[in-house]
Amino acid sequence: MRSISLFFRSVAKSLFLVSSLSIGIHAYAQNNTDANAAAGQATSGSAAAGAPVVAAATAGDAGAGGAIFKQKCTSCHAIDRAVVGPALKGISERRDREWLTKWIKNSQALIASGDPEAVKLFNEYNKLVMTPFPELSDDDISNILAFIDAEANKPAEAAGGAGTAEGGAEGGSEQGVSDWMLGGIIVLVLVALFVILVLNRVIKTLERLLLQKQGVVVEEVESESTAVRFRRLAKNKKFVGFAVLLLVIFLGSVGWKAMWETGVHQGYQPEQPIKYSHELHAGTLKIDCQYCHFGAYKSKNASIPSANVCMNCHNYVTASDKYNGETSPEIAKIYKALDYDPQSKTYGDNPKPIQWIRIHNLPDLAYFNHSQHVTVAGIKCQECHGPIQGMKEVYQYAPLTMKWCINCHKTKDVNYKGNAYYDKIVAVHDQLKKGVQVTPAILGGIECGKCHY
Amino acid sequence: MESNKKYWKGLEELKTTPEFVENNKGEFAESLPIEEILSDAGLKAPTPRRDFLKAMGFGLGAVTLAACQKAPVHKSIPYLIKPEEVTPGVANYYVSSYKGHGILVKTREGRPIKLEGNPACILGEGRLDAVTQASILDLYDVSKLKDPKLDGKDATWASVDTFVKGELNKIQAGGKKIRIVSSTVNSPSTNKVIADFVAKYPNTRHVQVDAVSYSGILGANQASFGRAVLPHYHFDRADVIVSFGADFLGTWISPLEFNRQYVVNRNLASLKNKKMSRHVQFEAGMSMTGTNADVRVALKPSEEGLALLNLYAVLGGGGSAPKLSNAKAATALGLVAKELLAAKGRALVVSGSNDIATQTIVNNINTLLGSYGTTIDITNPSYQYLGNDADFVTLIAEMQRGEVDGIFFLDSNPAYNSVLPKEFAEGLYKVKLKVSFSERLDETAALCNVIAPVPHFLETWGDANAVAGYYTIVQPTINPVHNTRQAEQSLLIWSDNAIKNYYQYVKNNWETSILPGAGLSWKQLLQTGVVNSGAGANAPAAASNAAPAVNAGNAAQAILAASAALAKGGESVTELTIYESVGLRDGSYANNAWLQELPDPVSKVTWDNYVALNPKYADKLGVTEFDLVEVKADNYSVVLPVLYQPGQAIGTASIAVGYGRTKAGKVGDEVGKNAYPFLKLQNGSLQNAVAVTISAAGGKRELAQTQTHHSYEGRNIIRETTFNKYVQDPHSGTGKHGEHPTYDLWPEHKQIGHSWVMAIDLNACTGCGACVVACNVENNIPVVGRDEVIKRREMHWIRIDRYYSFQDDQGASLTKEDQIGDLAEGDSTLEDVTVINQPMLCQHCDHAPCETVCPVIATMHSSDGLNHMAYNRCVGTRYCANNCPYKVRRFNWFNYWNDSRFDNYMNNEFTQLVLNPDVTTRSRGVMEKCTMCIQRIQGGKLQAKIEKRPLRDLEIQTACQQTCPTNAIIFGDRFDPNSAVSKALGNERTYYVLEELNVQPGIGYQTKVRNTTEAQQA
Repeated sequence: MRSISLFFRSVAKSLFLVSSLSIGIHAYAQNNTDANAAAGQATSGSAAAGAPVVAAATAGDAGAGGAIFKQKCTSCHAIDRAVVGPALKGISERRDREWLTKWIKNSQALIASGDPEAVKLFNEYNKLVMTPFPELSDDDISNILAFIDAEANKPAEAAGGAGTAEGGAEGGSEQGVSDWMLGGIIVLVLVALFVILVLNRVIKTLERLLLQKQGVVVEEVESESTAVRFRRLAKNKKFVGFAVLLLVIFLGSVGWKAMWETGVHQGYQPEQPIKYSHELHAGTLKIDCQYCHFGAYKSKNASIPSANVCMNCHNYVTASDKYNGETSPEIAKIYKALDYDPQSKTYGDNPKPIQWIRIHNLPDLAYFNHSQHVTVAGIKCQECHGPIQGMKEVYQYAPLTMKWCINCHKTKDVNYKGNAYYDKIVAVHDQLKKGVQVTPAILGGIECGKCHY
Repeated sequence: MESNKKYWKGLEELKTTPEFVENNKGEFAESLPIEEILSDAGLKAPTPRRDFLKAMGFGLGAVTLAACQKAPVHKSIPYLIKPEEVTPGVANYYVSSYKGHGILVKTREGRPIKLEGNPACILGEGRLDAVTQASILDLYDVSKLKDPKLDGKDATWASVDTFVKGELNKIQAGGKKIRIVSSTVNSPSTNKVIADFVAKYPNTRHVQVDAVSYSGILGANQASFGRAVLPHYHFDRADVIVSFGADFLGTWISPLEFNRQYVVNRNLASLKNKKMSRHVQFEAGMSMTGTNADVRVALKPSEEGLALLNLYAVLGGGGSAPKLSNAKAATALGLVAKELLAAKGRALVVSGSNDIATQTIVNNINTLLGSYGTTIDITNPSYQYLGNDADFVTLIAEMQRGEVDGIFFLDSNPAYNSVLPKEFAEGLYKVKLKVSFSERLDETAALCNVIAPVPHFLETWGDANAVAGYYTIVQPTINPVHNTRQAEQSLLIWSDNAIKNYYQYVKNNWETSILPGAGLSWKQLLQTGVVNSGAGANAPAAASNAAPAVNAGNAAQAILAASAALAKGGESVTELTIYESVGLRDGSYANNAWLQELPDPVSKVTWDNYVALNPKYADKLGVTEFDLVEVKADNYSVVLPVLYQPGQAIGTASIAVGYGRTKAGKVGDEVGKNAYPFLKLQNGSLQNAVAVTISAAGGKRELAQTQTHHSYEGRNIIRETTFNKYVQDPHSGTGKHGEHPTYDLWPEHKQIGHSWVMAIDLNACTGCGACVVACNVENNIPVVGRDEVIKRREMHWIRIDRYYSFQDDQGASLTKEDQIGDLAEGDSTLEDVTVINQPMLCQHCDHAPCETVCPVIATMHSSDGLNHMAYNRCVGTRYCANNCPYKVRRFNWFNYWNDSRFDNYMNNEFTQLVLNPDVTTRSRGVMEKCTMCIQRIQGGKLQAKIEKRPLRDLEIQTACQQTCPTNAIIFGDRFDPNSAVSKALGNERTYYVLEELNVQPGIGYQTKVRNTTEAQQA
């Protein structure tokens, strides 16, 4: 027994040492990265906050104008390049303020009145009618113009903005550096451990020397070599049995867990070719899921939207205000895929499909139909795909195991109310088992052949 | 009283040959080496322990390594710009047509995967035959040409165009002839293109020649009516049908249409009204039509003409014919004549002969019977075959004389299927410009210097006019996969036509000629697919009076002379009939693996042709089954294996054409032997009966037959009655004797919602095999090839069992085993057999024997009455297959989609595009079987749920049901009392196969009813 307790003591000691060390390191590393992240946020926050302040300095109402501009104008206009309509940089210098007000309120009336400038402009832009905005007051319009002027005059400050943006990017890359730091710390700890060991030895020798000097005869304890100790331990049948038992339990449980999780990819979050954010599109902008995933309500595939669906908006939404007037590099990837030239608005003849990486990989042997669940059962996307509106990058939320499918089929109610298909079936069910919950399982929804064929 | 007629799957069972007994003894088709292993030597083998450990170690290591594999990264690549009509995962259907039959093409994500009949088609009425079902596979055929070729080298279209145009101009300048050789062209637009081409190059003539020709009928109609056309037959209007060797249900002219028509007077509805047509077949070989006949009389080809002359005389046509030597046939003719006369105006006589004189007599007989205007429509003729044998002979002569300098082959392969391949090749050698519009490098294309490959019909525009007044459009459903161009387009370019785009050409042609009359727009046409202006309606009766009876004297002389010539050799010669097989037809489908593996409706042979002989006659020739024999005619001979064919007339043999291709492609090359050169050109048309000698060539070749697989151990599974008995008691023959108490081992299944069941009418099933192919296409069933079929490993989920029952010399059915012994050994001719076709598929038993023996519960019963099979759960014990009394379960011996041995179909990446994405491909080591097209059931239910409405009857159709030309298969919900299937199963004729086992099958069969008169029964 003694040897076991001894063993445990030594093991416990070293375990404690190692765990406390690792916890310490981890905490340090985490603090470090948190701090970095916070710093990054702070710099980008200040950059974002900085812009309006500068704008406000040039004209008092540019802020209000900016809000209106974003709401009403950005779908067709940008400051420094032509979108659907012309670029607006320097518009207040090119055109008379009064003319501009008339044009914005109702361009067609102006054209109809025979204004030569208006007619020329109309013809120049392929007779595209600009939406009239009679609801805008003169003040609103001057606010907008102030905003445009402020934006147009920004290049000097924009350079500074770019600087801060780069800083933000660096802040992000520092998280990569923290890995190096972690390695450094581990090396440090190892060196420290070595030093402690050496010092320990030195202290022991010194102690003995001291005692010898004092005349105390130190009884030479017969020091056992580790090999001898180990051999003795190995001869202890009880200990060996116990160790084997522990090993079997350990390996068994690990194996058991591993086998259950074979092929389960919950949390799978591959890096996609385009950093498309569901948080922005579904969360902030509240675009309906089926605007893009049109197949979900009529097909078995929810389908990844084709690039032409993206182009419905990204024809003019380029997020250039965040990228210093340039098109967002992620949106530019769509253009590249379509071989679309945003300047000339033409499509080239060298399109390259976007190769998304599939996240939800149901095995081929299982048949799943989205429309059955979305349209017929009325299940929300989030029930299987998780808080998708908050995901910057999508990951697999559900385990997609058969157990998971069956659990749902056993507990959910069938959405049969108002669906004439179910009338007779539910009547038969009620005849057989009145009062029992009508689950998909009761109607045969967990039979093998319903999904495996 | 219930009939105790006996049925046999084949002669092996009839004679209980030792092999047959041996084969049926074991659990599995091949014996397992259990005894070897358990015997002393096996157990005391030197190193079993070490081998075991090695295997275990390797297994463990392999599993561990396999488990370490990271989940593969799957790419998901959406459309860049999605076509508006495409939703991934949802099928689109487009109308098109194939050989004049309206079809619907099912496409998924832009690739065609299945064909269905267009319900608006007057020929098929929404049904398709096996050949059309299988034609989709040719789209994904890897043996097709990918680029045009000039002098054997890949070329560009521009260089081909320059070359051909240059040559054409030279020929034009030199005043030499140009010929366009094609099989029948009934496409109005193609004909117009050819006419335009002829206008540009006036030395051009269009020669139509069909491999299997109907020149005889064309010539006879030219003589009788002054029109060289095929009449449009209406078997549905005939109460008495007499056929002399015409396999009108199998291959003759328009079999899909004839199947549909034929069954109208024999199906459930007709029998309910106590009405049934009568069908008598005189023929030499056992054809699919012969298996369905009420009375079948074996008759030598040399006597067929005589029989017709006799019939003509008896019917009052005058003239005297020599008496038939075949007494049985003579008696039958007498009876038939009476019946025909009694059914005047509702009778139809057809002949499969391609002899002008014979067909003239048939015309005269039909005129006497008042068939014109009733059962035969000559005013709205059929344009399905227009080829003229004599024209082809003229062409060869022209070529040999060196008069032809330019020749174009359009859907034509005379180097393989002409009767004079040698003369043709010699003649062709002298032609300077030889252009082949072939989709593959076939036998003729190999002899040409320009190959302008054409796309598959699913990649093309076009049209057809199969029957007068009936037009169908062909529209593409996929862009051409390879660098191919339509023949019409090429001709337009080469003739400098004003319109160079064939699509525009077709559209213009329709908009000026056909659409205005139909009141349709082009867009509407692309949705309806067909235009029918009066075809199929009752022809004016006046036509019958207009049909003049030609003086039969000359024809009779010709027939007598031909008959005498054929029978000249007496006993020493065999009369050989050349026929088309139901699967391969004229051989143009030879590279289609589905059709190669489709068992012949009668012999159940796959992947081969053979010499069909009557077993008694084979004895006389001194050969036995599977012996290789040499069949020798005047100038041609082949070596083929013998097949015992009960019902074959003594003194005759039959060989199918369509085999023996040498340049068809990977699948079809060197399968069987070519029989075309046996045909004999005589009296202006190709005769399909010739005199040959047959002698043993030494050696054997086993034929891959499916008929003897899966024995029923002699259990009584066929129920049959006669029409007379049926009229007296509709229950007759069903084997029902009141209610019996039943004892169940298992509790009853609670069924909620639906109960899927099926009804199969044995009287409507003609055995054509369309269901088998449709099932293959729908359910991704692998093709296993000849060797595997011999090992009984065919994978078809639905099969058509063919049962023989024999009659003694007096025509009485044999009912006892010992009598059969007499028959087999005695001097009966084995000519008198009756045949029943029974489609057999998983019966979806409520008390399924397969379910209770599965150790891993991989096969389960569902709440809607189906027997599910979970492939991913199956471990392959095969207990279920063993315990299945119907023998319908199939085992995957290989990964057919990932094994180079099965390169002819599923293993090929390109061919895999034809697979149905809604059905998994099964892996090696698992069982599979009919699922009742569960993907269609689930899809149909979902559609109803989405539309929030109850399911409609017949909304969900299984693949076999949807294609069945005779509507013999009805699928539906038993819980709906008004459903078609409930009504069918409620019919008095319904019985369940092996219902005495109380496995409660979900498929009910309706008894076979034969319209035999008592006189012929006795």
